[in-house]
Amino acid sequence: MSKPTDLVQGTLDLLILKTIALGSMHGWAIALRIRQVSKDVLQVNQGALYPALHRLEQRGWIEAEWGESENNRRAKYYSLTKSGKKYLQSEQANWERLAAAIGLVLKTA
Amino acid sequence: MRWLKSISNRLRNLLRKDAVERETDQELRFHLERQIATNIASGLSPEEARRIALLDFGGVEQFKEDCREARGVNRIESLLVDLRYGFRALRKSPGFAIVSVLTLALGIGANTAIFSMVNALLLHPYNFRNLDSLVRVWEDRGIDEGYDARYIAPADAEDLRSTNSVFEGLTTYRFQSFGLGMEGDVQPILGCRVSANFFNVLGITPSAGRLFSPAEEQPGADQVAILSYGTWQRRFGGDPQLLGKTISLNGRVYTVVGIMPRDFDYPVPVELWVPLAFTPAERADRAQLSLNALARLSTGVSVSQARAELANFSHRAGLEYPKTNAGRSATLLQLRKELYIFTLPLFLLLQAAAGFVLLLACANLANLVFARMIGRQREIALRAALGASRGRLGQLFLSETLVYSTVAGMVAIAASFASVRALRTSIPVSWTKWVPGWDGIRVDGNVLAFTILAALGVGIFLGLATMLHTSRVEPNKTLKETGTVTRAKRRVRSALVVAQVMIALILLVCAGQTIQGFVRLANVYQGFEPASVLRVELSLPEKVYADNVKITNFYQQVLRGAASLPGVQHASLVTNPPASNVDNETTFFSIEGQPALKAGEAPSADLQIASLDFFDTLKISLVAGRAFSDADNTDAARVAVISRGMASRFWPKGKALGHRIKLGAQDSTEPWLTIVGVVGDVRQNWWNSVTRPVIYKPFAQAPQRSMTLLLRTTSTPTSYATGVRGVVRRADPAIALRAVNTLEEEIADSIAIVRIMGILMGIFGLVALSLSSIGVYGVLSESVAQRTHEIGIRLALGANPRDLMGLILGQALKLTGIGLAIAVPCAVAISRAMASLIFGVVSLDFAILVGFTVLLLLVALGAGYLPARRAIGVDPVVSLRYE
Repeated sequence: MSKPTDLVQGTLDLLILKTIALGSMHGWAIALRIRQVSKDVLQVNQGALYPALHRLEQRGWIEAEWGESENNRRAKYYSLTKSGKKYLQSEQANWERLAAAIGLVLKTA
Repeated sequence: MRWLKSISNRLRNLLRKDAVERETDQELRFHLERQIATNIASGLSPEEARRIALLDFGGVEQFKEDCREARGVNRIESLLVDLRYGFRALRKSPGFAIVSVLTLALGIGANTAIFSMVNALLLHPYNFRNLDSLVRVWEDRGIDEGYDARYIAPADAEDLRSTNSVFEGLTTYRFQSFGLGMEGDVQPILGCRVSANFFNVLGITPSAGRLFSPAEEQPGADQVAILSYGTWQRRFGGDPQLLGKTISLNGRVYTVVGIMPRDFDYPVPVELWVPLAFTPAERADRAQLSLNALARLSTGVSVSQARAELANFSHRAGLEYPKTNAGRSATLLQLRKELYIFTLPLFLLLQAAAGFVLLLACANLANLVFARMIGRQREIALRAALGASRGRLGQLFLSETLVYSTVAGMVAIAASFASVRALRTSIPVSWTKWVPGWDGIRVDGNVLAFTILAALGVGIFLGLATMLHTSRVEPNKTLKETGTVTRAKRRVRSALVVAQVMIALILLVCAGQTIQGFVRLANVYQGFEPASVLRVELSLPEKVYADNVKITNFYQQVLRGAASLPGVQHASLVTNPPASNVDNETTFFSIEGQPALKAGEAPSADLQIASLDFFDTLKISLVAGRAFSDADNTDAARVAVISRGMASRFWPKGKALGHRIKLGAQDSTEPWLTIVGVVGDVRQNWWNSVTRPVIYKPFAQAPQRSMTLLLRTTSTPTSYATGVRGVVRRADPAIALRAVNTLEEEIADSIAIVRIMGILMGIFGLVALSLSSIGVYGVLSESVAQRTHEIGIRLALGANPRDLMGLILGQALKLTGIGLAIAVPCAVAISRAMASLIFGVVSLDFAILVGFTVLLLLVALGAGYLPARRAIGVDPVVSLRYE
C-alpha cells in the first residue's frame, strides 16, 4: 500500500462530525479514532485537526467544554450541537450518494 | 440563533483574546503530551517519542495561526491594526495628510452644500402631509399663459368640488393686497382670500385659535382673519392676547381668529388669510378665470386618473355652457412638480457640477496615493513576501483610504454648517422668500447621511483603485528593482491625467456658459432704459373705488403730483412693468376683416395698460405712428399701440397702423381698437425665451385698480420715495404704497437665482481648474523625476536639451490632447442639454469652448515645462547617481 490517501477537501469536517456523534471527545481521541476505524487508511494530519475543530465550533455545529481526561488532565471535549446533527445527516446522505455514483461509474464504464 | 452564538463567540475571541490563546495552547499541549505518552508506551525513548510526536503533528505555530483564522479573529483584529496604522501614517506624513484631506473635504463639502439645497427645495419643499397627493388645478384656454396665470372660474371650481370623484378636497384662493391700518398709518400688506376648507385640504392646523368656518364664506360674515406667525411677531409684537381683537384692513374691521404655525407660508409668504366670500352672482361666474385652485387627490387615485376625470368634466361643461366653457380644458399638476419646473434643472446642474468636483478631487487623491504607493513598493513587496495575501494587502489600502476619507468627511461636515448658512444668506431675501423650502436649507439628518455615505464611498473607491493598482505585486522582481515604474502603472496614471483634463474642460465649459448666461440675462432687458427709474406698486380697494371715474381721478391726481416733483422727468402707470417676475395677462384677439377663428387657434398677445408717458418713462422707442395722447380718453375712439414683434407678425408688409383689432372673438362685445402706434419690443421676464406680441391700451380708456407707478428721475431714484408717499397721501390717505424700489434693483432681484448659480458654477470651475492643474502637474513632474536618470544619460551622451524638452512637453501635450479630444464632444452635448433645460438662457458658445481648451493646453505645457527644466538643468553627473 502506498502513502495513506490524502483526505478529500471538506471530508475532514464530515469525519470529525461523525466521530463525535457517538459522544463528546477531545482532539487526540478524535484523531486516534478516525485512524483506527479507517484501519489506518485515513491518517488525519494531527495538527490540521485543530483549525478544523475551531472552524466547526465557530459555525455552531459543535460545541466545546473543558473536562477531565482519562489520565486526570484538563482536556477540551467537543460534542455535536442540534444543528450539527442535522448538518451531519444531510452531508452523510450527500456523501453516500456521491460515493455510490462514483462506484457505479467505475464499475460499469 | 446560530449567528447570535457565532457573534458572541467572535466577540469573546476578540475581547478575551489572551484567555482564548491560552486555551488553544493548552489544548495543543494536551494533544502532544498524550501522543508522547502513547509513543513511550509503545517502547520509544522519551526524546524519540517527543521528536516523533512533534513530527506527526506538524508546524505548531502555523496551526495556531490557522486556528485563529478559523475563529474569525483575524479579520476584525487586523482591521483594527490597519486602521491604527492608517491613522499613524496620517500623522507621520502631515503634508500628504493635509493635502489629501483638504482636497477630499472640498469635494465632499461642495456636494454636501448643494445636496442641502436639493434636500430642502426638491425633497421637502413644504411640510404638508402626503405632499404628493396635493395638486394645482386650473383651466387651460388653449394658449400658454405662463405659470402665474393658472386660474379656474368660480362656478367651475364649485362644480368640480361637488361632483368629482377623484379629489378628497378642492379649495380655491386669490391674492389680495390690503392696507393694514396701524395707529393712523396704513401699511401695505399682501394677503390671500381662501375658501373655508383651504387649511383642511393642506392638512395644517393653526398654532393658536381656529380655522374659518363655511358660514364665514358669506359676504358680511367674512370679516375674520388668520395671521401668519411672522406678521403676529413683527406687526403685533407677538401679543398673546391678539386672538379676538380686531384689525383694520382696507378700512373694514376684521377679527383675528387664528395664528398659523411659524413655517407655514403657502401659497407664497402672505401676511394674513381672510375668507373668500362670494355673492351668488360671483359664485355663478363661469366667464372669468379668476381663482387659483388646489386639491388633494383621494387615496389611491393617480394623477393620470384625476387628469382623465378633469378632461371629462371640461367636455361636459363645454357642452352644457358652450358660451363660456367651449375650448376650455381643466388640468392639474402636482404641487411638487410645479416647483420642479423652475428648480429641478438648476439644481441638477449644480449637483452634477459638485459631483464632478468630487470626481476631480478623487482623481487627484488617487494620483497622490499612487505616487506614494510607488515609494512604498518595497514595503508592499516585503509584506507580500512575508505572506500577506492580496486580500490582506487590499484591506490595508482600504483602511488607509477610509481613514483619509472619514477625516475628510468630518472636516466637510464641520465646514458644511458654515457653508450652508453662507449659501442660504447670500441670496437676497426678496427673491428667496418666494422659494418654498428655502428656509429649510440646513444640515439635517439626510444631509449628514449623504455626507457620510459620500465619504465612505470615496474611501472605498480609492481603496479599491489602489488595490487594483498594486494587485500585480511580484515580490521577487520588485525587491530587486531600483524603484522604477512599470509601464502598466504609468498607463494608469496617464489615464488619470486624461480623465482629469476631461472633467475639467466639461466643468469649465458648463461654468463659463452659466456665467455668460447670467451676463446675457443682465442685458436681456433690452428695448428700454432701466437706470434712474423708481417703481411703486399701488392698489385701490374695490369697495371704495367701485367705478372707473373714481379710479381715473385718483391716478390722475397721483400722476400730476408725481410729475410736478422737482427732478421727475416723466411719471406714468403700467399694469406690469418689465422684470416684475410676473407674466403679462394673455388675451385672444381678432383682426378686423379676417375670418373668425376657433378659440384654440385664435392669435394671442400680452395685454398691457399704460398711461400717456409710459413709453417716454422707460425710453421705449416709437417705431411708427404715435404714442398715447390726452385725446385718447373715454369719449374718444378706442385706440391701441402694439409692439414691433406683433406688427411684423400679423402685418408683415408693415401696414399695421390704422387696422382695427378686438380683444376676444370677432363677435365679442369688446370694442374695436384702432392701432395708432408701433413701439419697440420689451423683454418682460428673463425666462421668456421669445418676445411675445404686446397690445398696449391707454389707461384712460381701460382704468385698473392695481397699477405700477413709474418715475424717470434725474438723480438717485430712491430719494423720491418720500415725495411720492406725500403725493399718494394727498390723493387718498388710506392707500398704501407697496414695493417702492428702483427698476434696476428689481431687475437684479429678478435674476438673483441665475446670478447665484453663476457664482457657484464659477467657484466650481475655478476649483476644477486648480485641481486638474495640480493633478496634471503632479503626474508629469513625477514621471519626469523618474526619468531624471535617463535624461542624465541622454545629456551625457550629447543630446540637445531642447530636444529633450520637446520630448517631455510632447508627452504632456499628448495626454492633455487625448483628454481634450474626448471632452470636447461631451462638453458640446452637455451644453446642448443645458440650453434646453435652462430656459434658453444658456447656449453653446464656441469662443468659450475654444478658450478653455487652449487654457487647459497651456496649463499642461506649464505643468510639463517646470519639471522638465529642472531635470535638464541638473548636472548629468548628479542625475546619473539619482535613483
